[in-house]
Amino acid sequence: MSGSMHLSRLRNWFFASPPAEYAITSLKELLIGAIQQGPVPQHVAFVMDGNRRFARSHGIETVEGHNLGFEALARILEVCYKSGVKVVTIYAFSIENFKRSKFEVDALMEMAKVKLSQMAQHGDLLDRYGAKVRVLGRLDMLKPDVLEAVNKAVDMTSRNGDRVLNICFPYTSRDEITSAIRETVEDYSTPLEQGRSASRTPFSESHIAHNIRTQTLGLTTHDSHSDSESTSGSSGQDDDASPRHDSNRIYGSMSSCSSSTTLHLGNQQDPKGVSPPRSLAGSDSPVYISPETISRQTLNDHMLTKGTPPLDILIRTSGVERLSDFMLWQTHENTEIVFLNVMWPEFDLWHFLPVMLGWQRRISKSRQDPNAEGNFAGDAKSSEESPDALLWRQGGKVKDI
Amino acid sequence: MVSQRDREILRGDLRGRGTKLSVAEREALLQSYLPDPAELGQKPTSQPTVSERKTPRKTPIRTFLKSQTHYLTYALTHIIFGIIVRLLQAYHAVVDRIFAIVYHHHRTPELIRKDVKNLKRLPQHLSTILTLRKEDDSLAVLMDEVAELAAWSSCSGIPQLSIYEKSGVLKSCIPALHQIITTKLASYYGTPSHQPNLQLYAPHHPVHRSAPITTNSTLTILLLSSTDGRETLVDLTKTLAEMSQNGKLSPEDITPELVDAEISEITTQPLSMDPTLPDTVLKPEPDLLLVFGPFLKLDGYPPWQLRLTEMYCTGGRSHGISGDGEAVEYQGYMRGLWHFAGAQMRFGR
Repeated sequence: MSGSMHLSRLRNWFFASPPAEYAITSLKELLIGAIQQGPVPQHVAFVMDGNRRFARSHGIETVEGHNLGFEALARILEVCYKSGVKVVTIYAFSIENFKRSKFEVDALMEMAKVKLSQMAQHGDLLDRYGAKVRVLGRLDMLKPDVLEAVNKAVDMTSRNGDRVLNICFPYTSRDEITSAIRETVEDYSTPLEQGRSASRTPFSESHIAHNIRTQTLGLTTHDSHSDSESTSGSSGQDDDASPRHDSNRIYGSMSSCSSSTTLHLGNQQDPKGVSPPRSLAGSDSPVYISPETISRQTLNDHMLTKGTPPLDILIRTSGVERLSDFMLWQTHENTEIVFLNVMWPEFDLWHFLPVMLGWQRRISKSRQDPNAEGNFAGDAKSSEESPDALLWRQGGKVKDI
Repeated sequence: MVSQRDREILRGDLRGRGTKLSVAEREALLQSYLPDPAELGQKPTSQPTVSERKTPRKTPIRTFLKSQTHYLTYALTHIIFGIIVRLLQAYHAVVDRIFAIVYHHHRTPELIRKDVKNLKRLPQHLSTILTLRKEDDSLAVLMDEVAELAAWSSCSGIPQLSIYEKSGVLKSCIPALHQIITTKLASYYGTPSHQPNLQLYAPHHPVHRSAPITTNSTLTILLLSSTDGRETLVDLTKTLAEMSQNGKLSPEDITPELVDAEISEITTQPLSMDPTLPDTVLKPEPDLLLVFGPFLKLDGYPPWQLRLTEMYCTGGRSHGISGDGEAVEYQGYMRGLWHFAGAQMRFGR
């Protein structure tokens, strides 16, 4: 017993010695540099599980376990951002966690507050190096002082570079999905303002009708004019045909324009809904966007993770093999889910590396042979996933160049 | 990568609720760990900073060497990793074969029952993700796999089984599938009097039952496809938006409970053709999700129901990619059940 303790103390002393520390640091740098050479996931999520169990098994206080967990987070964030991951999402606190002991909840809140306000203190440093911090979840469930720290940190970092850290603070995925549905419904049940929408419609039907009328009128005068001038009958035929073609083209351009507006589901109004005849009729019933235009993308845009690339890897530590209400909507398509049998405070590059290598291996294989089964990145993403993802990838490429 | 001494200082600071160190002290402590701004600008992924533009790169050779070293390391790591993966795959393949021989069901319900006898808990609702292969007879293979799974679940005492297959091809041939499963059950149980009652259905499809209702246990099978995932949530949103537009509902009424009730109803209550028959209540959230594939990927599985579901991937122990989808095998199924119960499988029953 005592022998093993001496041994561990000796080991700790060895690893804390400057040469060993330097060697490990250089090795880590080298490995991170190596990871960068291959495909790198754009969005990684972590469920930081096992702080309490780690504390229990090591005979330290629960709060101390959470502190060590925070250190592990800092470690892994460094690895992620250095190797080129754009977005990291972490599950910090579930709405369900409010049911834990008051002492622990308070300690966790205190820790969050201290860390967030420290972050805000180093504003200029973060500006230079840092990532954007975003807090996802039910902020209304937080105490005012914590909320203030959250807002301050989010504000401070909102102008930062292209790296994002999503902290899911009081969060559950079901709550997120429900909120997304609710917001979508709210969006779709606000009546369109008649005046504004009319002015924003690119073409008005009455105007087009007027144009056609004047053109056909002009045509008749022009027609007679040309008839009198030209000697051959064929030119008259030509003139007769061209205005019809013109009006067709106007209709064609209008319909193509309207179809392009329907493609922008969430933001633009459906031209059918705001057609002038209805507004001219003066019906009092408000005009809405048709609910049929709601798509997966609409809901996606109302999720808390909007604007981030699709989730590539989700890692949960501590050997618990379920999602526990985290990122349900985001993970259920092409995400690789990994359950690791380590406690979060112990989590380090050494555990992360095999996951990363496995992912890179699979991605490069599927790129080489897109028809192979088990292929899940590359073409699948670009073909069926959101234009959002494409944009992100393109953005990355542009920056690469 | 923080040195031991600095870590101790930071920990001490944290214990004092962040009051021991001043802002400037903390920044000084951090300074040595932050990357050089100029170096940051050279990295391909980050934006060029102003300072980088002012001072052109001074060390082209060093940078070149560094990138070459990184590339070499990348190649080396992947070669080594590949070898390890292959070795692990080979090892697991051997272990799998041994398990397959030792744990074989021989189409005997008693043997299967014996295999699960010592487990502390069994899932009430088992869910599986199957993949349709690309061969010609893939549908027949898939249906046979479903039938096997149905037989195993029924024998091991799991009353509810849901099968997810992305394309939804199974939903179009429910009667044929019912026939195949019944035949398979007959080959396990023998006489029809011992067979469990079989109920097969899919969301928005009528339930398909075995004709004579006996007193035996009931096996309920639910077929899912990718349209039951995000698409269902979108449909729900459409309906809710329409109701809200007509003033029948206010957006504040949309709560997780409401969504849960609506979503669960689709999968739990089949359209019953005969109202005299008792409706089976399926547990909406599966207890265990078995993924028959090389790695854990949900592939469009309905997200709402997965909240607390445990997941197990039969090929998950190796990081490799074995060309085709994992075969549905009895020992893989058993391993999932054992894992769920928190037990280790051993050689020898």
